[in-house]
Amino acid sequence: MKNIFYIVLAGYLISSCSGLPIQTKGEAYPAMYDDRKPLSVLVIPAINNSTAAEATDFFNVTITEPLSNVGYYTMPVEIVKDIFQQEGIVDSTMIKGLPTSIFKKNFGADAVLFVTINKWDKQYIVIAGNVSVSMDYVMLSTETSEVIWSYSATQTIDTTAESSGFIMLDIISTAITTATTDYVPIAKQVNYQAFTALPHGGYSDLHGLDQEQSISTIMKDAALEEDL
Amino acid sequence: MKIYTVAILLSALYLGGCATANTGYYWENYSGTLYSYKQNPTPENRAKHINELRKIIKKAESKSSRVPPGVHAELGYMLAVDGDKVGGGSELRKEASIYPESKTFIERIYLMLGIGDS
Repeated sequence: MKNIFYIVLAGYLISSCSGLPIQTKGEAYPAMYDDRKPLSVLVIPAINNSTAAEATDFFNVTITEPLSNVGYYTMPVEIVKDIFQQEGIVDSTMIKGLPTSIFKKNFGADAVLFVTINKWDKQYIVIAGNVSVSMDYVMLSTETSEVIWSYSATQTIDTTAESSGFIMLDIISTAITTATTDYVPIAKQVNYQAFTALPHGGYSDLHGLDQEQSISTIMKDAALEEDL
Repeated sequence: MKIYTVAILLSALYLGGCATANTGYYWENYSGTLYSYKQNPTPENRAKHINELRKIIKKAESKSSRVPPGVHAELGYMLAVDGDKVGGGSELRKEASIYPESKTFIERIYLMLGIGDS
């Protein structure tokens, strides 16, 4: 009886750190553990399909830190943007159609990561504020062109100001807070959250050791729903 | 038997992602200064971001940890664009030496900036 308790507890601990337990990382993303596993990942400047134009910069300035922190070598997005612009590529959607071998040749990248912002909705609900975010992350091997990792992050983040106890003051302070909220840390948090489902890269102590970690296959597949 | 169950618990915690990658990078306010510069590309904000990159490098040195990926490259790139091709080239070379997989990328930057690989 006690042993069953410990097994259930272990299962809960495994799942509680990573969301819905549907598949392991090793099962969901086998290419990240064999010869196709990337060390260097080229992040393509974010594709923004949301109504918030400013969201592109939120993601471009906050993605290299979380990606590096899980063990990948990654290039600064601003330099990559300038290189593409020099080549006449001003829009990341133009990049989607290019053969991935180009990224190996020009950047030495083992993989390329496409980030699509589908939703970045700021909401005021009287004295509460939040931002609803929906992002798709798709990583392709530059060698084989196949999808080696994907994840769809959908989150609502509370940006509500602390209550003063006076309703009118709260309404005003919520509006001010939502208007002046620094969304950069929020975008960074979204990226960090998405990368908890990413197998660790070569610079991480957990590289090759996290195959048993659970991830949600619903979120893995949702990122691939749109035609790449 | 109890030792085994404790071991299962500990390995569950470890494999469950509660353990850290230990890449040990110090990013300081990289995102903040870069965002400010993107929003308002003034010379002051550019200088602030360049300064932040230098801060990140100094912090890594003081902590005996590796400078995060791309930081030397970004500093070198910005210095070279501003006209300091020698200082810029030096930072770019540092990136390639810490991260050998960046070599092709660094060469692509040299090509773009029209500076020689010295």
